[in-house]
Amino acid sequence: MVEYTKTEFLIACASRHVRDGENVFGGTGMPLLAALLAKETHAPRMNLISEAGYIDARPRQVPLSVADSRYYYGCSASIGLIETLGFLLQGGRIDVGFLGAAQIDEYGNLNTSYIGPYDRPKVKLPGSGGGNDIASSAKRLIIMMSHDKRKFVKDLDYMTSPGHLEGPGSREKWSLVGNGPEVVITDMCQMDFDPETLKIRLLSVHPGYSVEDIKENVMFDIIIPDDVPTTEEPTAEQIAIMHKLDPHGVYLGKGG
Amino acid sequence: MTEVEVEDKRVTLTEAAKMVKDGDGLFWGGFGYQRPPIAFAHELVRQKKRNLTVYTCGSEVDLEIMAGANVATRYEIAFSAIEALGLSYNIRRRVSEGALAVEDYSNLAMAMRFLGGALNIPFMPLRSMMGTDMVRLSRYRGDDKLKVIDCPFTGDKICLVPSLQPEFSIVHVQRVDMQGNAQIDGIVGEDIEGSRCGKKLIVLAEELIDKEEVRKRPDQTEIPAMYVDHVVVLPYIAHPMECHDYYDYDLEHLMMFHKMSQTEEGWQEYLDNYILGVDDHFGYLDLVGWERLMGLRAKKPWGY
Repeated sequence: MVEYTKTEFLIACASRHVRDGENVFGGTGMPLLAALLAKETHAPRMNLISEAGYIDARPRQVPLSVADSRYYYGCSASIGLIETLGFLLQGGRIDVGFLGAAQIDEYGNLNTSYIGPYDRPKVKLPGSGGGNDIASSAKRLIIMMSHDKRKFVKDLDYMTSPGHLEGPGSREKWSLVGNGPEVVITDMCQMDFDPETLKIRLLSVHPGYSVEDIKENVMFDIIIPDDVPTTEEPTAEQIAIMHKLDPHGVYLGKGG
Repeated sequence: MTEVEVEDKRVTLTEAAKMVKDGDGLFWGGFGYQRPPIAFAHELVRQKKRNLTVYTCGSEVDLEIMAGANVATRYEIAFSAIEALGLSYNIRRRVSEGALAVEDYSNLAMAMRFLGGALNIPFMPLRSMMGTDMVRLSRYRGDDKLKVIDCPFTGDKICLVPSLQPEFSIVHVQRVDMQGNAQIDGIVGEDIEGSRCGKKLIVLAEELIDKEEVRKRPDQTEIPAMYVDHVVVLPYIAHPMECHDYYDYDLEHLMMFHKMSQTEEGWQEYLDNYILGVDDHFGYLDLVGWERLMGLRAKKPWGY
């Protein structure tokens, strides 16, 4: 029996969605560790890219910023934003993007901009950054969030980044380059999207949680398939590699 | 070749900031933790500028300083937070008070607006933001935030964003000669487009190099002198953020800044101590302490 924290579980889970040879926007934090873990295990030819301009990166220490110099040494090219977000991403050359959000709706649309009304926001959040660009144009989107009922809403306060918008046909209507979100990973479950309706569907529940727990912790009707498996747990090897990648617990925390 | 005498474009930080008038628009260089012109933000605060509009993709501490000190009242940006630490509290407060208006774009949208300005084209097309509230909602720009049209060639929907040619571009680089040939190490972010879009360009650099050094490695010149109006040479322009190959970020100071900015009182204390309480950039560096600053110097070959 392997012991793990919620963060370690999320990272291991996300890393399994990265395939060998893919071009991946890694960002910082948990997505970065997930991408690096994939590279150290099943996806050694994964090409890690930071939107700030670092291409084929293999940082020796975890970067705090997408522009951090820790991304520089050992990468194959160090360029800029028009290169990464324009030529690579909008050019249709990025396979996977990772995003988090303060709110998500049943089509996987994301809010990272405002809580409360747009005219008098209660909280100004970071905004899009490259998030909208990534959600618009990456072939696949992996969404990582801590599971809080208030985040899984029927109506977003503000839609920063496109998921499947209003459902089938809507990404095509807006001529978006990428295919939209593929999976949503939280510390309770994994969700994917029903191919018919493009609405969120439960994919697996993490050990210790039930289907009922998930239904109670979203504010929309989540599609529940007949068979909901338990999510695969992280291996001791995955956890050991994570801590080698982040020895000071910058993102993993001090525990573990 | 005969070497003729060239113009020395060097000015002091104070002189450079004095050229910025209340109400001006500024392209703001650097990206994330990398090469933000923080010393220039400090000087704008000391000179009590007002009603500035700042255009950038994503800046962090510098945007917090200019919003917190009420120097800037309008931001056209994609991102504001202190990555890895959390929300930008000053911006959050000023937005809630109505003292700051933020017109939201994506990173690529802002980079395209700078590229359009640099190319002297009135707008640029891109495939981001569509279908979202980024298209539906705007603040002071109203209908001029962006337009979605059917492409006249393919019929596909395409987003058009207005190009920018602000009064000034403010860019921080590693090295410059006195004529203004500027070299950037590491990533360029959106500074290639950004440096060329402003009506005037002020380059801030950590190190002054001789023209011979420029001619020896011309491929390193990211910004040729012909674009540059004024040059300011100072050390630790980006502190507490980083400057590739020169110094790392000062995480302790950064965390202190972020913690103090959680409350208006804390922010005012930081402002009084570190920005208004010193005469100039060297006063700020003295206050931070040279032993600490020397400890941040980049170690070869890592660049940080």
